[in-house]
Amino acid sequence: MNELRRRFQPEQIRELVLIGLILALALFFSTQIENYLHPRTFTRISTSVAVVAIVAVGQTLVILTRNIDLSVGSIVGFTAYATGTMLAANNDLPPLAVVLMAVGMGAAMGALNGVLVAYGRVPAIIVTLGTLAIYRTLLVEFSGAKSVLTSELPRWLVNLPPLNAFSIGAVEIRLLFLIALIVVIAFQILVTYMTWGRRLYAIGSNPEAARVAGFPAQRMVFTAFLLSGALAGLAGFVFLARFGNITVVAGQGIELKSVAAAVVGGVNINGGIGSPFGAFLGALLIDIIDNSLIRWLAISEFWRNALLGLMILLAVATDTVVMNRLRKAWVRHELQTSSASLSVEQGGARHAT
Amino acid sequence: MSELSTTSRPILEMRHISKRFDATQALDDVSLTLYPGEVHALIGENGAGKSTLIKIMTGVHQPDSGVILLDGAPVRIHNSQEAQTLGIAAIYQEPMVFPDLNVAENIFISHRNRGAFVNWGKLHRDAEAILAQLDVRLDVRMPARGLTLAAQQAVEIARAISLNVRVLIMDEPTASLSAHEVNQLFRIIESLRSKGVAILFIGHRMEEVFRVADRITVLRDGRVISSRLRAAPEELDAQRELMIREMVGREVSEFFAKSAVPRGKLLMSVRNLGKEGVFSGVTFDIYEGEVLGFAGLIGARRTDVGLALFGIEPADQGEILFEGRPVQIKSPDHALKLGIAYVTEDRRGLGLTLPMSIASNITLPSLRRYLSALGLVRRKEEQRTAESYRERLMIRTPSVNLEVAKLSGGNQQKVMLSKWLNTQPRLLILDEPTRGIDVRAKAEVHHIISDLAAQGLGIILISSDLPEVLAMSDRVLVMREGRQMGVFSRDEATQERVIMAAMGQELSSNGQVQSSLTTQAVEL
Repeated sequence: MNELRRRFQPEQIRELVLIGLILALALFFSTQIENYLHPRTFTRISTSVAVVAIVAVGQTLVILTRNIDLSVGSIVGFTAYATGTMLAANNDLPPLAVVLMAVGMGAAMGALNGVLVAYGRVPAIIVTLGTLAIYRTLLVEFSGAKSVLTSELPRWLVNLPPLNAFSIGAVEIRLLFLIALIVVIAFQILVTYMTWGRRLYAIGSNPEAARVAGFPAQRMVFTAFLLSGALAGLAGFVFLARFGNITVVAGQGIELKSVAAAVVGGVNINGGIGSPFGAFLGALLIDIIDNSLIRWLAISEFWRNALLGLMILLAVATDTVVMNRLRKAWVRHELQTSSASLSVEQGGARHAT
Repeated sequence: MSELSTTSRPILEMRHISKRFDATQALDDVSLTLYPGEVHALIGENGAGKSTLIKIMTGVHQPDSGVILLDGAPVRIHNSQEAQTLGIAAIYQEPMVFPDLNVAENIFISHRNRGAFVNWGKLHRDAEAILAQLDVRLDVRMPARGLTLAAQQAVEIARAISLNVRVLIMDEPTASLSAHEVNQLFRIIESLRSKGVAILFIGHRMEEVFRVADRITVLRDGRVISSRLRAAPEELDAQRELMIREMVGREVSEFFAKSAVPRGKLLMSVRNLGKEGVFSGVTFDIYEGEVLGFAGLIGARRTDVGLALFGIEPADQGEILFEGRPVQIKSPDHALKLGIAYVTEDRRGLGLTLPMSIASNITLPSLRRYLSALGLVRRKEEQRTAESYRERLMIRTPSVNLEVAKLSGGNQQKVMLSKWLNTQPRLLILDEPTRGIDVRAKAEVHHIISDLAAQGLGIILISSDLPEVLAMSDRVLVMREGRQMGVFSRDEATQERVIMAAMGQELSSNGQVQSSLTTQAVEL
C-alpha cells in the first residue's frame, strides 16, 4: 500500500480515476444504448475527439504557464477555411504542403498572441479574447460569407476521415485519430522528459521566481502560445478533412471545449500542474458523454454547452477540494516515511538513507 | 577566520558606487569588499540603501558611477542571468522555489549544460550529492510545496551552489524562520564559508548579525558609516551598541519600556478558552491601560488565541466575559462591535490592501462612518482621518493617497495600526507588530503602544521578540504548544523564567536553558 502511495502521485491518481470513469461510463451506456459496445462507436468518438484533443494539448501548454488561449476556436476556423479555399481553387496542392500551411498559419496567429502576452505584458485572457474576435472577423471578411463545399475539395482529402491507419481486432484506428495520438504522446514526452517542458511547469508554478531563475521564461511563454496556435492550425486541417463543408462559424466553441478538456483532465487553471495526456483523457471523457447523451436522451444542442460548463465547474471543484487534500496527504506521508523534513547534520557528511 | 580573509584576495569589490532615483540619493559613494570565506553583514534602517546595493550587485539596477571589480577585473552586470554567470546569486526572505516541481528539479532548473532531455535518475543523484555537500538531508523527490520555509531556503542555497556561486547575497534570510531553523541556516552558512563562498548577509536582528558575521558594515542614508571586523566576545556588547547608534544616527535604546499607567476597570475575562486540537485552558484577565504580553516559541499557538478572540477562528470551549457580560465571539464583525480589534502578523497577505491608498486602507473596516446620505464615501472626511493618523503615528509618506505598497515595512505597520485604531477599539490585539521593521520604526511603534495604553486601551501584545515582550508588558502570559504555562507579573517575568515556561520542563532539566538563552533570546 505504501509502495502504491509512493509510486502514484496525486496527479497520476487523478488520471487513473479518469480512465476508470471513462470505462464506467462506457459500461453504463452499453446497458442503456443498443449496440453501444460496437467498434463503430469507438470509431465515431475517436474521430470526433481528434480535433479537440489536438487543440487541448496546445491549450495545456499555455495553461501550464498560468495563461490561457481563448483564440483557438477562431484559429481552427480560420485555418480550416483558408486551407479549404486554397484547395478548392487548386486541387493539385500536395497534401504535406497543405498541412504545413495550416500549421504555419496557426503558428503565426499564436505568435501574435505570444508577443502581446509575453513581451507586451497584457493579460492572456484579454489578448486572446481580443484575437478570438479579430481572427473570426478576418475569416468572415476573407470568405465574403461564402462556404467551402465538400464537392470542391480534392478526393484525397474527402477520403481521409474513413482512412484506416491500422486495426486492433475489429477496432479501427483512423488516421486522423492517430495524428491526435501522436501529438499527445510527443508533447507528453516533451513535458516529462525535456528540460524545456519542465521549465514550463516552473513558470506556472512561480512566475516571479521564473523571471529571475536564469532561463528565458518570457521567450518560453511566447513559444507556448506559438505552439498552441500551431496545434490549433493542425486541428483546423483535421477539421476541414472531417467536415468538408466549412462555414464562417467553423470551430466556434472549441476554445471552451479545449479549456474544459484540459481542466477536466487535471490541468490546474493556475498553472504548474497537469499534462497533455490528462487533457487527452479529459477530451475523451467529454466527448463520450456528449456523444452518448445525444444517442441516449436525444438532448438538444443547447444543453450540450450547459453540460460542458457544468463539467468545468465540477472539475475545478474537485480539484480544489479533493486534489488539495490528496496532495497534502501525499506530502505528509512523504514527510513521515522519508524523514524529508530538513535536517542539517552536525559534523561529518553522513548521507541520507 | 578574519585573519584569513584579510590575507586572501577579495572576490568582489564595489568601489565608489553611487545611484540616484529622482530626488533620492539611494547610494552615495559606497565601497564594499567581499572576501572568500567571509560573512560580511550589512546593517542599516529600511531605506538606508541596502536593497539598492543588492540590486546593483545582481544586475537589476546599473550604478550611476563607480565600478564593480570581480577578481580584480572590472565587470558590468546587466541582468540577473549575467550575475548568475559571474557567480553572484541572491536569496531572499521569501524563498523563490517552484512549489510544483520536486527538490531536485528546483535545484537544477536554471542549468544550461544538462542537455535537452531530463535524466531523472542522474538528476536525483546529483541533487542528493549537492545537498550532502551542505550536510542537508532532504528527500529530493518531494515537491517543494510541502517543505518548510527553512528547507525551501536550503533548496535555494543548493541551487546557488550547483551553479558554482562565489558570492551569495542573503537578504534577511531569517525573518520568517524559527530559532531552530535559524540554527540550521547558520550551520549551512558555516559550510558555505568553509567552501570559500563570500557571503553578504543582510539582517535586522542584531543578535543574529553579531553571531554570524566576520565583518559588519553600517549603511545609513546611502552612505557607509562604518565597517569593522567583529569584536572579541568580551567587547561584543559594546560594539553592538555602538553600531546600532551608527545605524540610527542618534541615541536610542533598542527597546523602549512601557510607562507605568494606573490600571483601569476590568475589560475582559477569559476562562479556559480552547479550540479542539489547537489550544486549550487559556485563562486571563485584562484591564484598561494594561499591556498583556503573549510569549512562546513558534508553534505555541498564540496567534490562534488572537484569531479566536477576534472571531476569525472562533473558540469552541471556555467562556469570555467582556465588561462583565458573557459573550460568544463568532465573527470579526461581532468582535468589532464589542470593541475588539486585531492587527495581524501577516502585513502583506492579510493586513493591508497593497495597491490601495493609505487613506482607503485606514477607513476600510469603518467605512460605514464615512458614507454620505447617498451611500457614497465622503472622500474629504476620509482624507482628514488619514491625515490625523499620519501625524499621530508619524507615518512617513509624501501623501496619504500614496499606494500602501510603496511604503517601507515600518510605515505599513503604522497604517495597519491606524486602520484598526480607527474602529475605536477598547481592546487591541497586536500580533508581531514589530516584525521585519527597522530599529527606529520599532521604537516608534513601542511609543505608540505605550501611549495607547495610557489612553485606557487594553492591549494584548503577541510577540516573538522576548526583550520586547518583557519591556512592554505589565504581565506576560506564556504558552507552549497550545497550553497556557503561566502568567507572570512584570517583576516576576525574567528572561530565564519565561523561557523555561515556554520550553516546558524537559529542556530545562538537562541544563540546556543556559545555551538556548543566547540563541533564542531574539526569536522566542
